[in-house]
Amino acid sequence: MGKKIVAFCCENSSYKAAAAVSDADVLDAVEIVRLPCSGKIEIGLVLKCLEDGHAGVLVLGCPVDNCKYLHGNTRAKKRVQRAQSLLEEAGIPRQLVHIDFISSVDSHKFVEIVREMKERIAEAQAAGGVAGE
Amino acid sequence: MVRDVKKLLILGCGTCVTVCMAGGEKEVGILASTLRLTNRRNNISMEIMEDTIERQCDREFFDAVADKVREADAVLSLACGVGVQFGGEVFEGKRFLPGLNTSFYGANESVGVWSERCAGCGNCVLDKFGGLCPITRCSKSLLNGPCGGSQNGMCEVDPENIECGWQLIYDRMKALGLLHKLEENEPVKDWSTSRDGGPRKIIREDMVQ
Repeated sequence: MGKKIVAFCCENSSYKAAAAVSDADVLDAVEIVRLPCSGKIEIGLVLKCLEDGHAGVLVLGCPVDNCKYLHGNTRAKKRVQRAQSLLEEAGIPRQLVHIDFISSVDSHKFVEIVREMKERIAEAQAAGGVAGE
Repeated sequence: MVRDVKKLLILGCGTCVTVCMAGGEKEVGILASTLRLTNRRNNISMEIMEDTIERQCDREFFDAVADKVREADAVLSLACGVGVQFGGEVFEGKRFLPGLNTSFYGANESVGVWSERCAGCGNCVLDKFGGLCPITRCSKSLLNGPCGGSQNGMCEVDPENIECGWQLIYDRMKALGLLHKLEENEPVKDWSTSRDGGPRKIIREDMVQ
């Protein structure tokens, strides 16, 4: 794996969940970027992370129907879907970008999500869908 | 379209296409990243430069990117079709390619939704129809009332998505108390001011140098 997975975390939920994680492997695998809301995510930023050689991108927002800013997480979901379809057009596996929704106490889910993401990336690499830098 | 280009400039336009989220600075970044990723995947060697100017329909704004344009083998313009063509005129001999598929000129109906309002066809009739254009709003561009395909306010061309332009005109004229005006016969439109008359030009003599 090249550079770390970038995890864009909403400061109201997943960022707090991530702060309580102690698993060194998981923390080593991700670079956490704090967002005021997952709805702040930009498609260009997601693609830029991959362009810069990061292994994958996670966007982690508040639970569905429980976004602090009401619709931020659904907006984030749409943007991630758009980024995924652009990746598909580019011939890059869409699973290199993933969105999930967790609350501030879901540290165990954060660990799970990162592990699953590592698996997805490994699968994509094995299938030859990820070009090196 | 750009596969064989070695040095590409993706050039955004800072006006209309920026506000309709099609070809501004952000979209330039997104396209550049996507293209770099796909090139890397397919082992295509291409240098991609990015820039956005205020407008691509006014000559002077191109000055800011003159060096980059000259350096590039081709320019992928994210302006509307006007900008693509005008860039090619400003930089004679340079290949300008369309990065967008310009479809129409419309209004921002609601967030993320744009719809056509004006065809720029000349001999404007908006004053006669309550400010609604029968050319763009009626699928058949009828000038003297609806066809038989108007059902429940929707158009037979796409009853789910297209409103009947003539229903809209009728409702608006009624609300304005001008329904009687619709009884006047609208003569056949002179299309020579539209696509029929060749490329159009407006000259303001008081402005010409």
